[in-house]
Amino acid sequence: MTPDTGSETAPHPYLAHTAAARGLASCHVCARVSPVAEQASCPRCGAALHLRKVHSIQRTAALTITAAILYLPANILPVMTVRQIGSEEQNTILGGVVTFWKSGSYGVAAIIFTASVIIPILKFIALTWLCFAARGHGSLRRPGARELNPRQATKIYRVTEIVGRWSMVDVFVVAVMVAVVQFGSIMTISPGPAALSFAGVVVLTMLAASAFDPRLLWDRVGPEMPVRALSLPLTLPRPRVPIDQSATDDR
Amino acid sequence: MPRTRPSKDPIATPGPAREIPARFLACEKCDALFNYPEIEVGESAYCYHCGFVIFSRRPNAVQRSAAWAVSAASLFVVANFFPFITLDVAGQSNGIVLAGSVHVLADQANLGLATAVATFILVVPAFLIAGMLFVLCPLLGGRRFPGSYWIARLIYGFSVWDFTEVFLLGVLVSLLKLFSLASVSIGVSFYAFALMVVCVTASLTCIGRHELWEYLERASK
Repeated sequence: MTPDTGSETAPHPYLAHTAAARGLASCHVCARVSPVAEQASCPRCGAALHLRKVHSIQRTAALTITAAILYLPANILPVMTVRQIGSEEQNTILGGVVTFWKSGSYGVAAIIFTASVIIPILKFIALTWLCFAARGHGSLRRPGARELNPRQATKIYRVTEIVGRWSMVDVFVVAVMVAVVQFGSIMTISPGPAALSFAGVVVLTMLAASAFDPRLLWDRVGPEMPVRALSLPLTLPRPRVPIDQSATDDR
Repeated sequence: MPRTRPSKDPIATPGPAREIPARFLACEKCDALFNYPEIEVGESAYCYHCGFVIFSRRPNAVQRSAAWAVSAASLFVVANFFPFITLDVAGQSNGIVLAGSVHVLADQANLGLATAVATFILVVPAFLIAGMLFVLCPLLGGRRFPGSYWIARLIYGFSVWDFTEVFLLGVLVSLLKLFSLASVSIGVSFYAFALMVVCVTASLTCIGRHELWEYLERASK
């Protein structure tokens, strides 16, 4: 089965156990499995149907790079301006963290530093690495070798997806402070350009994570890879039932 | 499970090519193909290859999800009409409503930020709640409104852009800072908003994506 031209990263045929190998695509909205050749949109919900997300790696890479570029003004420009009687003080994100730390609010400083610096940088690294891994360069030491463990890579992808939204904390901190502290000449806080830039960074990284198709990580797994090495979570709220390994219908 | 009637799917056409794919399910992480799992209510099926859960049947999914959505709706209304935070500095008092934060930002000619904040904490949750009610309430009787498919698509599309819990964390962080500045009083809206976040999350997770689409497909118009 020739692969969908939407992704050039699978020049080899899809693995036999996948839906793509049979020309079946799972709708990204309603998860219904339908043949791609017959219809371009899902018969149930009408969303566009593709074997793999279209130009997944290119879109992810482009959005990640744009977010990284936007991250620079978000950190250089001031995020908040505090006007008190006679003095005007402009804070950048990092400057705010330092101020919080020095004034003793260690918890607040840690939260904002984590959300505004650590999480975005880790997201950039993770998304870049996922793009390389989906292309088959998962290991730095042996370029070209299929070293990546797709389960770990998928876990990284899931964590990136879930954690990414929390770096918006700083934007909301600014929004609330600006909304509440409006006391004329005694004290007034106004937002700086970095707030919107940082919101843009978060939005772009979220779009980048949603553009990435985790199935690309599994497309490269060879038959010798022990994908059955499952380590299921320890406590499960519901009993789990393993389902049949392969679809038995042969039509 | 809600009482369902056999539906006349308008796009169904007889023939083998149409029937086969409806019996399959593909893992969304590794694309492994499986027969449609026949599991009991309360069980979940995991992918044999990658180990991630791909399908689950939750007990009383529609009823619970609708109940949470109704609670979320009432809490949202309360959260918007009562004061959120009130700050007292040197005799002056400034209290804001949730939408007030957007007003202030817009007044300061920060339209971009105002739009972003308004979208993430007001428009999107309102749409999610209204959408869930629109889709779930008819399902309680085994029916579905016209346009439910569109709304369900939009719900799952926009659920990622719901930043209400992040907003709560931001409010908590700024409260810590504001406590040192002046006397702060937290209004009813804050607690209502916090509970609303819980209700919206519960409503979206009480019914699985597959399940909702199954119910929608089987419901009659």
